[in-house]
Amino acid sequence: MRDIIFWLSGAALAFLVTAGAFLLLANLATAPSQKRLNPEQARAGSGQSVDLILDREQLASLRYLPDQSLTLEVENEGGEQLSDVSVILSVFSENTALSNFRYYRKTVQTIPAGEDARVRFEFDLLVREEPVARPPTANPEQSREILEIKATTPEGNSTVRTVILPP
Amino acid sequence: MPSRVGSAKRVAVLSIAAVFAAGCAHADEEVSIAPLVPAAGRVDPGLGPGTRALSSGPGYKGSPSWSPGGDRIAFTVDGYVVDRLTDSGDLRNWTTRDFIAEDIEWISEDTLMILGAASPSGTEETPSSLYRARAAEDSLELETVEKEVSAIGPGRGGLIFALGRGAFGSGLALTRGSGDVHRLYSKSIKGHVASLSLSPDGDEAVVAVRPPGDLETSGLRVFDLRKGIGRELTRLDGNQEIVGTPQWMGQYLYFVAGEKDKPVDRDGSEPLYEIYRVPEEGGATEPAPGVGEDFVAASIRVSPDGERLAVIGRLSPKSPTNLYVLDPLAKDLTAVTTNEDMEIKTGPDDLAWSPGGQSVAVIARGTPSTEPEVRADPADRLLRDFYNLYEIPVDGPEDAPR
Repeated sequence: MRDIIFWLSGAALAFLVTAGAFLLLANLATAPSQKRLNPEQARAGSGQSVDLILDREQLASLRYLPDQSLTLEVENEGGEQLSDVSVILSVFSENTALSNFRYYRKTVQTIPAGEDARVRFEFDLLVREEPVARPPTANPEQSREILEIKATTPEGNSTVRTVILPP
Repeated sequence: MPSRVGSAKRVAVLSIAAVFAAGCAHADEEVSIAPLVPAAGRVDPGLGPGTRALSSGPGYKGSPSWSPGGDRIAFTVDGYVVDRLTDSGDLRNWTTRDFIAEDIEWISEDTLMILGAASPSGTEETPSSLYRARAAEDSLELETVEKEVSAIGPGRGGLIFALGRGAFGSGLALTRGSGDVHRLYSKSIKGHVASLSLSPDGDEAVVAVRPPGDLETSGLRVFDLRKGIGRELTRLDGNQEIVGTPQWMGQYLYFVAGEKDKPVDRDGSEPLYEIYRVPEEGGATEPAPGVGEDFVAASIRVSPDGERLAVIGRLSPKSPTNLYVLDPLAKDLTAVTTNEDMEIKTGPDDLAWSPGGQSVAVIARGTPSTEPEVRADPADRLLRDFYNLYEIPVDGPEDAPR
């Protein structure tokens, strides 16, 4: 009887430990909606102390319509407070023959060390009429829109993210 | 009894350890794969070692053309014309951005001949004009050489081009030196010339023609530039069409043809286009030797030494598009790239041999995503997200003089 109880309790313990381990691993693997969409982590240079955090779901919700908005986070990765961080959003088409370049600028007054600040941009994403009479050698595809976001500290350190939106 | 309990404990501990080990191994296999670094001078390995990018950033590139010395390459971006040094340097504009070029050819180190329309108002039905552009000039103003030009090709010491002669006929003309027309062949070619190229000796031209009343470019004619007379080489039947520019290699003329607007097969495969050849004296058309039956061809270009064909195509309808070199004498088709995740552009003018024949310029991009893509570089440094120009080294024939 004692053997049976011992084996049963051992099996239950093993099950609980295993389940707990898998739950822990599953939580580690689940990516939050808001994350650093910058896996390449290309840095502009040494001494950089800002990072840009974009929200994947928010990017996916952008539509080719007026009055779109994008909120991003500028993170101070350094050990000192940052002031007057410039954030520029450029919106343009991948069709370089179209002169539709727009840019929007915001300045973040202060970001304490190790913290981040939210920046919201409002802009239009318009479906632009391609020139109707293009011969086959010009772009026959529907152009994608590009968002280029650049955060720059007063010292000149900068971080860039380029977002290519599907047509 | 105590000993049995002890062994049971050991079994339990071992079981838990095994479960942990298995769980950890599984987690390791699911480590996310970092996306390719899009820029920083690196080129996707699928295009082969030694490949280098000749452009970057957004823009629909096309029609690459090497300068005679091979140190510059011109190409179109969204219709307008630019060039750059092949080893470094910024883009140099040759036209304004509202220009729409169809084809470009160098006639000297500082002069480009451009086939295109100066404004977007032109349509396929409105023939383009031939323009001359000089690098030394500050403005982007183009000089009109001839109106109603339908095709251009490199000539011996200049350019050969076809010009419209009413709705049912075309003429040919040659330029020399600075791009002025020095010989005009008024004798009409029946139909619309869609493309043309010269024989290796430069005395004849082969033209792909859309005969009067036909909807497709289905005729191949040879025009003797010394005598000013032409003859028909072949004419395709049915719904067949010739795509791109026929290439003259040895005693044969090679061209890509297939059935236009053939409905997509039930298995989803696209209409098949093959490489054919016909003897220069005329005769039966046959598939190019060395090319497999399933090969789907898109575009071809003869090498500067006249012995090889650069081919963009697929080994089978479901294979990825790659660059191949065909040696018809050896009946050998060699894969230059073994890419599986890049889309190589298949337009008829989207490949070009370097003047020395050591490399081929192609245009390629990664497969576009249906989700927003985020990159850590400025847009103008990105490569695989847009169609960009690549120089791909090509091995020469083993017996070629060096």
